[in-house]
Amino acid sequence: MVENRPWLNVLTHCVLVLGVIIVALPVYLAFIASTHGPTEFLQGIVPLLPGPHLLENYGEVLTQGMTTSGAPPLLNMLANSTLMALIIVVGKISISIISAYAIVYFRFPLRTLAFWVIFITLMLPVEVRIIPTFKVVADLGMLNSYAGLTIPLIASATATFLFRQFFLTVPDELMEAARVDGAGPLKFFRDILLPLSRTNIAALSVILFIYGWIQYLWPLLVTTDPKYYTIVMGIKRMATVADSDPKWNLVMAAVVLAMIPPVFVVIAMQRLFVKGLVETEK
Amino acid sequence: MATIDLVDVRKTYPGGAEVIHGLDLAIADGELLVLVGPSGCGKSTLLRMIAGLETVTGGTIAIGERPVNKVEPADRDIAMVFQNYALYPHMSVRGNLEYGLKNRNTPRDVIDARVAEAAEMLEITPFLDRKPRQLSGGQRQRVAMGRALVRQPKAFLFDEPLSNLDAKLRGQMRIEIKRLQRALKTTSVYVTHDQMEAMTLADRLVVMNSGRIEQVGTPIELYERPATVFVAGFIGSPPMNFIELGAFPSDVQSSLSRQATGADLVGVRPETIVFESPDSDAIRLECQIELIEPVGAESHVHVRWNEQRLVVECRGHPGFSEGQTQAFYLNPSALHFFDQASGQASRAAS
Ligand SMILES: Nc1ncnc2c1ncn2[C@@H]1O[C@H](COP(=O)(O)OP(=O)(O)OP(=O)(O)O)[C@@H](O)[C@H]1O
Ligand SMILES: [Mg+2]
Repeated sequence: MVENRPWLNVLTHCVLVLGVIIVALPVYLAFIASTHGPTEFLQGIVPLLPGPHLLENYGEVLTQGMTTSGAPPLLNMLANSTLMALIIVVGKISISIISAYAIVYFRFPLRTLAFWVIFITLMLPVEVRIIPTFKVVADLGMLNSYAGLTIPLIASATATFLFRQFFLTVPDELMEAARVDGAGPLKFFRDILLPLSRTNIAALSVILFIYGWIQYLWPLLVTTDPKYYTIVMGIKRMATVADSDPKWNLVMAAVVLAMIPPVFVVIAMQRLFVKGLVETEK
Repeated sequence: MATIDLVDVRKTYPGGAEVIHGLDLAIADGELLVLVGPSGCGKSTLLRMIAGLETVTGGTIAIGERPVNKVEPADRDIAMVFQNYALYPHMSVRGNLEYGLKNRNTPRDVIDARVAEAAEMLEITPFLDRKPRQLSGGQRQRVAMGRALVRQPKAFLFDEPLSNLDAKLRGQMRIEIKRLQRALKTTSVYVTHDQMEAMTLADRLVVMNSGRIEQVGTPIELYERPATVFVAGFIGSPPMNFIELGAFPSDVQSSLSRQATGADLVGVRPETIVFESPDSDAIRLECQIELIEPVGAESHVHVRWNEQRLVVECRGHPGFSEGQTQAFYLNPSALHFFDQASGQASRAAS
């Protein structure tokens, strides 16, 4: 805004504050809830100030989980989720950057067909193809394994597409200069294309990490062994208990813990992430 | 150091028509050869074929007597300077200069020595640790030159390397390229569409037109004895005036056709037209002055003679005014004669 009117300032601030409250209040309440004992919630009043049971609650979910609802210790689930998200990030980015490289820089037979096949898979996210995918994964004996958790999610076209778009903006002369300079296809990829894609890779990593982290439906299907439970499905498990009221304080502690890694990733990658979204270094 | 020989070279782009139609050219060792021609005539295509960036669809290209049709660009021992410089954006200037040498497993001390030498020569030493985006256009151009220099290749290939610079810088860099080429004596092929650049740089000049060579020769040869109407009109600024022989009075016609039999088109360089009455058998044209363009040391006077528009280049600022009638004189010995049908010069008779 070029204008500088005081009432406009006040208005914009009000809007912003309102926005922050809408986003932050539930998070705050979840945190508050996680610091109280198990009985506070049964009275139907939501406390607004922190209670005395912070360490106790977190310690319990982290190390013991919730035995009544069959949730393993959170530490284990956090590790599973992290591993799953990381495998998805690394797998997706490596596969898609290589396939984008092939599609943009090489002239091979059926190249257009390959491109369209990849393009079409954009229309088939996991949720759409979940039953056949489950069948395949089950037949391959990959239920209850990290491979089963991640491989079906790695195969997707979005990232290939983004890299393709980026590669198309890299001037051809750069590749030609590299050819004259004696760089073969692999050297060109490693020395020039990869460093140029750095910001794009960072931005995608953040997006894909969160994508992997929040997976719910797929882990729910392919894992029956608590050893492989992920945090998001774990929370759901904790919240649905058969014969008694859920221990909301513990559920909320798990929720808060589940939020930390994505937040950490976003903050750590923030600078590169924003750069990758708004500018391409050329 | 090497010769470059093109024999019956042809190029057809996949799914396109032929754009280079059987072209023969021998480039001598240490020569600076300039390719000029209008946009789309195939200059870049030809250069890129020499570089190995385009496949050759017919004929042979040999660098230093070795046929290179199937040789990768990197193994042809050539260096290329691109119009948009194509510097690696994420590498420092030093990194850009070193990259080609590193890929060839050059020893570290040789790399350092060559980079230092090239940087010194091009006066880019202070920028060695900067990224290309932190440089001005002219400095980037120097880095691009440096990247070619450090390799000490058999041949330099330039594709309009100065066309992204402003006029003044272009002039400076032109001189610098010529000086460097003289010092290094490396065979060079230089593509440009700027005829000023072409004339001043070239040892020999090749004028191309739609995939064919019109004429090869020193710039002065091409200027003084253009072999075709195309070359005559392309070389020289302002361009040559063309007058159909039939437009002259019949006595002039008959005396002119004695000079060149069969010619039906007369070419007159603007700078050979004078307005003071010369002594001899000059041809007098009674012209109407339409427009005067002063360009410093000379003026370009646009005139109309009968239905014909002509440009006259006069030294200084003649005191003409637009709209006035003025007599101009053509020197018959400074005329060029062409055959319109074939486009060739006719200079048999003399
Ligand atoms: N990749 C391509 N596929 C098909 N035709 C092409 C391709 N590249 C160039 N051409 C055609 O080849 C002809 C010569 O192109 P080229 O780039 O060599 O011209 P040029 O003389 O360098 O022109 P300019 O002075 O504008 O750079 C043009 O008619 C162009 O349309
Ligand atoms: Mg060109």
